[in-house]
Amino acid sequence: MKYLLYVLRRLVTLIPVLFGISLLVFLLLKIVPGDPAVTLLGSHVTDEGVAALHQQLGLDLPLWKQYGSFLGKLLHGDLGESYQYRSSVSSLVFQNLVPTIWLIVAGALFAVIISVPLAVWAASHRNGFGDNTIRTIPLIGLGMPAFWLGIMLVLLLSLKAGAFPASGFGDGFENHLKSIVLPGITVALALVPILVRSLRASMIDVLQSDYVTTARAKGLTGRRVVFGHALRNAAISSITVLGVNIAYLIGSTVVVEKVFALNGVGYLMLTAIFNRDFPIVQGVTLVFAVMVVLVNLLTDMTHAALDPRVRLA
Amino acid sequence: MNIDDNGTTAARAAAMAAHQITRRNALRMGALGLGGVGVSAFLAACGTNNTSTPTSSSVSSAPSSAAGGATSASSAAGTGAASSSPATSGSSAVPAGKNGGDVIIARAQDSVDFDKTMVFSNASIWVYVQIWEGLTIGSKDGTSVEPWLATSWTQSADKLTWTFKLRTDVKFSDGTPMTSADVKFSLDEASSTKGGWEFINSAIEKITTPDASTVVIKTKYQWAPLLADLACPSNGIVPNKYGGRAKKAFYTSPIGTGPYVWDTWNKGSKLTLKKNPAYWRTGLPYLDSVSWQVVPDDNTRNVMIQGNTAQINENPPFSTIDQLKGVAGAAVTLFPSTRTDYILMNQKRAPFNDVHVRRAISYAIDREALVKTVLFGNGTPANSLFMPTVPFYDKNTPGQTYDMTKAKAELAMSKFPAGIKITYLAASGDSVDSQIAQILQASLKELGITMDISNSDPSAIHDLQNASNYDISHSYWTMDIPDPDELVQFAVLPSGGGHSFNTNYNSAAAQSLATQAQKTFDTAARQALYTKLQALLAEDAFLPPLFYQPFPYATRTSVQNFFVKPTGLYDMAVVSLA
Repeated sequence: MKYLLYVLRRLVTLIPVLFGISLLVFLLLKIVPGDPAVTLLGSHVTDEGVAALHQQLGLDLPLWKQYGSFLGKLLHGDLGESYQYRSSVSSLVFQNLVPTIWLIVAGALFAVIISVPLAVWAASHRNGFGDNTIRTIPLIGLGMPAFWLGIMLVLLLSLKAGAFPASGFGDGFENHLKSIVLPGITVALALVPILVRSLRASMIDVLQSDYVTTARAKGLTGRRVVFGHALRNAAISSITVLGVNIAYLIGSTVVVEKVFALNGVGYLMLTAIFNRDFPIVQGVTLVFAVMVVLVNLLTDMTHAALDPRVRLA
Repeated sequence: MNIDDNGTTAARAAAMAAHQITRRNALRMGALGLGGVGVSAFLAACGTNNTSTPTSSSVSSAPSSAAGGATSASSAAGTGAASSSPATSGSSAVPAGKNGGDVIIARAQDSVDFDKTMVFSNASIWVYVQIWEGLTIGSKDGTSVEPWLATSWTQSADKLTWTFKLRTDVKFSDGTPMTSADVKFSLDEASSTKGGWEFINSAIEKITTPDASTVVIKTKYQWAPLLADLACPSNGIVPNKYGGRAKKAFYTSPIGTGPYVWDTWNKGSKLTLKKNPAYWRTGLPYLDSVSWQVVPDDNTRNVMIQGNTAQINENPPFSTIDQLKGVAGAAVTLFPSTRTDYILMNQKRAPFNDVHVRRAISYAIDREALVKTVLFGNGTPANSLFMPTVPFYDKNTPGQTYDMTKAKAELAMSKFPAGIKITYLAASGDSVDSQIAQILQASLKELGITMDISNSDPSAIHDLQNASNYDISHSYWTMDIPDPDELVQFAVLPSGGGHSFNTNYNSAAAQSLATQAQKTFDTAARQALYTKLQALLAEDAFLPPLFYQPFPYATRTSVQNFFVKPTGLYDMAVVSLA
């Protein structure tokens, strides 16, 4: 019960957060130079055209009225209408959110699958050849830009081996799965070095603690000590690191989206900014904010589930 | 727009920085919407582009003869005094092809909206011309107008009333026959929508429909560009009263008389049109479907052509053309286009109100060097406001060519012979713009003109140019109709509303020539007027043209009969797969 209340309270804090963000983004967009009407008209811009579009888009109203109407619609769950597409922002955002969420989930999963065994191996063979290799090689991964890594993966695994589609998101669940592998690995490879380092460090810490010595003294096998006791405790800090990184990934997957033509919400945001499509920028920002808060909440909940000493209240 | 790859490094730097802040702070920052704002910061970091070193690559074969001096013998637009013969030649000639197959066109940007009276995005227009067709159509080389849904036309003696005969075998894809009522509705719709393409129809006074296959258009004044205006995509024919639907609903899943019908659109990723089996051009289209897939990354589009997951790559950057030429099973074609790039000089501001300064700057532009570096040799230096792919272009227009001696002489004649300081407004992340700016900066330095380069994002640049809040900048034009009047109105006439292409150029002589040409129906007489106008504009150096560039397309060699007109439009009905 207490737990539920806690989650509810965290969700309620979303309201002021969203309000603050909407106001901030709205004002920022007004300060930035560039007129959506001029952008829409392209090379055919005339004063009459701009005036007519301002009226149609409601951009001729005073600022507070524009914000008021935006808020009013928002309370009804309506994010407004895109200037460019002339269609509902909500449906655009949610449609484009699907590949992005797939990408983030796949990236996080791959990152964990790759990092945990590496970190455990490195920590339990500390300062050995394997440890040093594991600590060095992922750093190279960190130095490889996603657009290059992505293209390399496509060339090797898609064009040469034909194992995965080169780009796009495919149709249907099975094709989504196939399409997400390469972009997921690309995202994961950027996370792996960070995760490995943090997990290895805390594993080493934990492996030196008294209860591990006790466990060993009790006669437990090395494997049970490492996986049953050490990993669980060492994972706690790494989950925080992963959580922060996932929160960061939201809104920054655009490079990977671009390379693999996934066209998720990051790319939608990018073009909307270029085209001064304010309703989309506002809508995407709000969705990003909700996602960041949710990821942080999930991180805390996982934290509590792993460590009974942590009470969510 | 060019999303730059260097942004990745910036993003990574930001990621590294993020690890150094505590989790709580990160949470708070996230809550402040930095997730989203981060994207804009990341955009701001997008500086230069990843172009490789310039090569002296050869210009690959152009498919049509239109690149040369195009004003010659071809029957130019606006001459339709006599009735034309039914559509049997030119664009309507049907090449043989194999039935079936699906073609995917990979492109950098998505279509946006399909309200043809409002949308200016080429990414939308190039798609919707497969759905709607006009009464007339531009020829393949762009220098004349041919009959399409109208088979013939006559003009009254006072040249004010045009009578069009419509094809009688044309049906909309829902089976309803196309009649004069649909034509009247469509043209009226395009003329009355504010903030859209209504300026194209500004000469039309009234449209009447004496019978189902006759349309009479009365113009307010004698108006030579009418036939070309009717070929404008915004004047495509939609069903009367949108076939009983609301306007908005209609344009979300439109119908027309064209070779393809609406299928699905997953906004931001893929739009698909299906074959119209009841299309009036018998035997066409060949393909079962055409899809436009949004693939923002240049390299990814090339890889898709390589792997045959896309069959056509729309406008690959010139920097990647050599690479594409080396791909097995792929071909690169450079289609002559109406795209022309210009240097804008704001004549509201000194020293650009002095014609000698403008001429000096125009002489100082090394157009050959620009073609080599910006277009990788795939283009030609420009000499006129007009491009070789529109009627009435004069290849003898005395536009300035690179000559520093003449530039110095002009500057000496000006009121500002020394110490000029100007600022070039460049679009950030646009490698073309920054190269133009740098080449110009170097030669102006020789003249003693100090030019600073100020970067802003493209949308802001556009706004500043439109508000005449700049010194010198760069812009370009592409034609939508096969007649120069569209550009002349925008660049010369105050009534065009374009502030003379945002330069604030104001010449009574030029305006008089432009308006005379609008009502001159005789081709030779109209040519004489436009020749004079082009010479005058060149001498005034009000909008120095830089270069004419083609539309590059990469296709799989299996793609047959794909042809892009100078206006950018292509007819997917005749395209087939080998």
